[in-house]
Amino acid sequence: MNMMLKKQFYENTATESKLPDADGIRQTVGEPFLENSRISCREIDVFYGQKAAINKVSLDIGSNEVIAMIGPSGCGKSTFLRCLNRMNDTIDSCRVTGSILLDGEDINRTDVDVVLLRARVGMVFQKPNPFPKSIWENVAYGPKIHGLAPKKNDLDEIVETSLRRAGLWDEVKDRLDELGIGLSGGQQQRLCIARTIAVSPEVILMDEPCSALDPIATAKIEDLISGLREKFTIIIVTHSMQQASRISQRTAYFHLGNLVEVSTTRQLFTNPRHQLTEDYITGRFG
Amino acid sequence: MTEKKKYNLHSVTDRVHSGLSRRYRAEKCFRRFGVCAIGLSLFFLVILFADIMHKGLPAFLQTQIKLAVFFDPELLPLENLETADFNALLKSSCRALFPGVKGRRSKKSLYKLVSDGAAYELRKQVLRNHKLIGTTQDLWLIADDELDMLMKGNIARNPTGRFNQQQLYWIEKLEQDGRLRRRFNLTFFTSGDSRDPELSGILGALSGTVLTLLITLMFSFPIGIGAAIYLEEFLKKGRFSDFLEVNINNLAAVPSIIFGLLGLGIFINFFGLPRSAPLVGGLVLTLMTLPTIIISSRAAIKAVPPSIREAALGLGASPVQVVFHHVLPLALPGMLTGTIIGMARALGETAPLLMIGMVAFIVDIPKSFNSAATVLPVQIYLWADSPERAFTERTSAAIIVLLVFLVLMNASAVYLRRKFERRW
Ligand SMILES: Nc1ncnc2c1ncn2[C@@H]1O[C@H](COP(=O)(O)OP(=O)(O)OP(=O)(O)O)[C@@H](O)[C@H]1O
Ligand SMILES: [Mg+2]
Repeated sequence: MNMMLKKQFYENTATESKLPDADGIRQTVGEPFLENSRISCREIDVFYGQKAAINKVSLDIGSNEVIAMIGPSGCGKSTFLRCLNRMNDTIDSCRVTGSILLDGEDINRTDVDVVLLRARVGMVFQKPNPFPKSIWENVAYGPKIHGLAPKKNDLDEIVETSLRRAGLWDEVKDRLDELGIGLSGGQQQRLCIARTIAVSPEVILMDEPCSALDPIATAKIEDLISGLREKFTIIIVTHSMQQASRISQRTAYFHLGNLVEVSTTRQLFTNPRHQLTEDYITGRFG
Repeated sequence: MTEKKKYNLHSVTDRVHSGLSRRYRAEKCFRRFGVCAIGLSLFFLVILFADIMHKGLPAFLQTQIKLAVFFDPELLPLENLETADFNALLKSSCRALFPGVKGRRSKKSLYKLVSDGAAYELRKQVLRNHKLIGTTQDLWLIADDELDMLMKGNIARNPTGRFNQQQLYWIEKLEQDGRLRRRFNLTFFTSGDSRDPELSGILGALSGTVLTLLITLMFSFPIGIGAAIYLEEFLKKGRFSDFLEVNINNLAAVPSIIFGLLGLGIFINFFGLPRSAPLVGGLVLTLMTLPTIIISSRAAIKAVPPSIREAALGLGASPVQVVFHHVLPLALPGMLTGTIIGMARALGETAPLLMIGMVAFIVDIPKSFNSAATVLPVQIYLWADSPERAFTERTSAAIIVLLVFLVLMNASAVYLRRKFERRW
């Protein structure tokens, strides 16, 4: 299978023109498949009602890797991300087909425990959405419901380390009782990151986690991501190509619901194999 | 090119500028309209309150008459005090006031100045203290409602009206002797209904209302909120949920008397619950308030931003945890508001209660959910229907009590809401 796709890729790129033919974007070019994958998605289709949001996306994600998703607005990055912890279940009109294996198990099966899945696959949402509770409670909520800390002391410790890793501790350590929604937009974003990592998920889905952050906070989050990579798998959506190239090993380019290209980050940004990718990263898109 | 751009910019400013005064005028108009609307409603509210206060406040005072009562040992045999003729005792005390009165007619019109309730009062005092027997005591006793009305200026002091020449003379005499006074009308707050206006009170209806509303709250709050949560959070949207929604909205608009009929058919005829009982009244009002509570609770739940749910779900909270940890606390203030609106409506409801017999003349103060009772609005209706002038006064007084009750209820709701809102 791997070989076959590689062959196709060469066939695609063999024509120097790089112009997408009618079906050119239906096939993903690059290396979407891995030998040892943590998550492997095959032919995922997502429909909102009758409207298709994602077409036949197949992609492997390895353990200990950071994979970045880029692409123009509305191309289905968030939708794809939300498939991986079945957040799309919460939208009534949304239908997902295809298979997504996490450690060899299909997460789309009906008998899969969604609660457990979401504890293992954490998510940071595109818009900061802290609970209207205190900062402490925001971070402690996940560990509390999963029973990760039997004693309050342990919880305090989890809260502190999570906030430290999200680079928020120094700003909020004196006002943990204050409302999470009383923070600035960027602080809220970091609070949400802290809340997610407090559960120690094995896979973290990040939907533009740095969109509201200044360069310093962004650098902290990027450090955090690089640190987390040692143990976890991270899938991050970003609109900043610099960020993608700084933190990710592989990058996937989405276009109108299609996964156009997946390559190592260096390759994708320096030597894109698909015309659409090249247009996008050189700013010629649109 | 630049010339043109400049020109355009200029004209945009001009246009905005020329439209500005119109926009401000519209704003001013709207503000004036708002002030007018509020002013008008305040005006009517003040008129309503002033009228009710004017009519009802005098009912909180009651005329009393001072009699020198000789507790005649002959009339009060110690062995059967319980059945002694206290009416005779009262009558003799009246006669003692004006020893010259002769003839059955005259005597009768003299007795009419004192309320029948005065005899009960004498009985109570004697039973409490046997030593009174054989002594003469100056006692302030409750006057008849007609005398009360006369003293309050509601009945004209001329012999053509309710009082004859003789009675008017006596009244004048009593006033001169300082034997008439007005005091706080405690009876009004401590007794149930009565045929005699001066002996009737609001407590029966008030406790009936409290018992009925307790039942209503106990059933409609949990059921309503549970239903709303299920409908909003768990039921799949589709034809069935639309069907339910339409029906609930319809129920909210069904005339309340139909709920009364339903209650009569189900609770009394089928389940055999007692008639006129607060239990049945509360259940009927529960049926009536449920749609209101469900609709407002659903609105409150809908107003909780979906991002909160997503955040909790994304952390691995189960749907029930999402509801109880996040949605419910946020929606609770709105739910409370809806509940209070429903309860306030239930408080003022008369029609459905007529159907289940809560309109009866009930003297006893209801003590349990099963005893016969009536409620404030029904009491108001009953009194408003009575011909006595003193009942007119008491009608307004009962309205005041109802309003105070309402204000207390709403204030507690506001307090609760604040409390729950502050938890965040
Ligand atoms: N809840 C929804 N209901 C219906 N359509 C939706 C819904 N969410 C997303 N879509 C549609 O699916 C498509 C993909 O949306 P998605 O949010 O995945 O884009 P995205 O790549 O994350 O964009 P952005 O970079 O702006 O966040 C869009 O066309 C959008 O209109
Ligand atoms: Mg998105």
